Amino acid sequence: MSHDLDQRLLEAHARDDRMALVQLYKDASSVSNSEDAKYFYLTHAYIFALDTGHPMASELHALLKAAGRES
Amino acid sequence: MTETSYLNDVRKPVDTANGLPNAHYVDQTVFEEERQSLLFSQWAGLAVAADVPEVGDAKPIDFLGMPLLLVRDRDEKVRVYQNICRHRGMILVEEPRKIEGAIRCPYHSWCYGLDGRLVSTPHVGGPGQNVHEAIDKKQLGLIEVRSHIWMDVVFVNIDGQAADFDDIHADLIKRWSEFDQPLYHGGADSYFSLDVKTNWKLAVENYCESYHLPWVHPGLNSYSRLEDHYNIELAGKYSGQGTYVYRQLRGVNEEVFPDFENLSEQWDEGAEYVAVYPNVLLGVQRDHTFAIILEPKSLDRTVEHIHLYYSQPKTDEGMRAKNAQLWKTVFEEDVFVVEGMQRGRNAVGFDGGRFSPVMDSPTHCFHDWCAERILEDRSAKQAAE
Repeated sequence: MSHDLDQRLLEAHARDDRMALVQLYKDASSVSNSEDAKYFYLTHAYIFALDTGHPMASELHALLKAAGRES
Repeated sequence: MTETSYLNDVRKPVDTANGLPNAHYVDQTVFEEERQSLLFSQWAGLAVAADVPEVGDAKPIDFLGMPLLLVRDRDEKVRVYQNICRHRGMILVEEPRKIEGAIRCPYHSWCYGLDGRLVSTPHVGGPGQNVHEAIDKKQLGLIEVRSHIWMDVVFVNIDGQAADFDDIHADLIKRWSEFDQPLYHGGADSYFSLDVKTNWKLAVENYCESYHLPWVHPGLNSYSRLEDHYNIELAGKYSGQGTYVYRQLRGVNEEVFPDFENLSEQWDEGAEYVAVYPNVLLGVQRDHTFAIILEPKSLDRTVEHIHLYYSQPKTDEGMRAKNAQLWKTVFEEDVFVVEGMQRGRNAVGFDGGRFSPVMDSPTHCFHDWCAERILEDRSAKQAAE
């Protein structure tokens, strides 16, 4: 993960901007090198999408489910 | 005196009965016993549906130490859950708020739908692995507490063992069937609370009877005299009082609140005030109703939550404020009585007192109901030992 993305994630957490965290964690997932890291971040994106009622929740769920990471 | 014989004295006819003795007001052990026998095993008032008016509204409520969560789900149904995560028992919601999506546990982020379903268990099978064969989400939804709404009051049966609310309260539901129509909460100006240093039962007892009205509420004497009232009581069910001379609140231009629809003549000048055992006090009049939820905070502290309802969604703001103030004045006049009786229960040897056979029977009806419940539970406990 780039320093910039890491910084933006920390800032979003600091201001409890959970809507922003959905996209930021999705971005983190897309630049991860390992499978576990990819789905770790994608899980976080999905959970914050669930939490906030974000429209990407069903898309993220589908990605996780397709990878056998979610039911 | 055996452990329970005094309760048989409470259950005698009103002219020979004693009231519940001191221990039922000042003994922590008895308070905890009554929590089970009189509140958790019955249909106790918890809140009003108007506390969660919109989909997604969630209100945590600590009910006698039990963490509960009142929510309005996506189907607009009001539900009550235990306010804890099925993972580590963490409190889920700390403050009243709107749930935009899921109820997310702040500890490990297990997520629940407003319908109680466990939706996701992040990393439960390791990083990025959100399923595990040992975790069956279908079995781990929020624990729903049995609830029932009547007159907008959310009643809960914590132990889940009581008969259906509609069966237990069939007589009162029938008695007040004319008020089975939409009730509109007046909003923020139609709610107030009183924090009173008394055991919750004394608030019920005082509410039930009209005997005290001319002494404690002298302002009523000019138009609502003692002889204008009648007792309401059905053994083992409910009790209260009624009046034949209800007078509508009038504004500066003689305006009144709109009436509920299709009421019979009885309600032209009639009004009734009933204690729905254990802890809900209701009042019905032609143009408004009210509900008082008694929240037992401790042995000798009760918060009274008072909500006023009207027949129409929009009513005059000034009139509502005036009406709320009127009732607040009346209920505040009762505070010194229930607090005084509570302090009086520290007088060693007080036998629970004697009732007026004529004027106190609604209060005795409540004591009889309490004694019967406690006797049943003590007998069951003894039989199990």
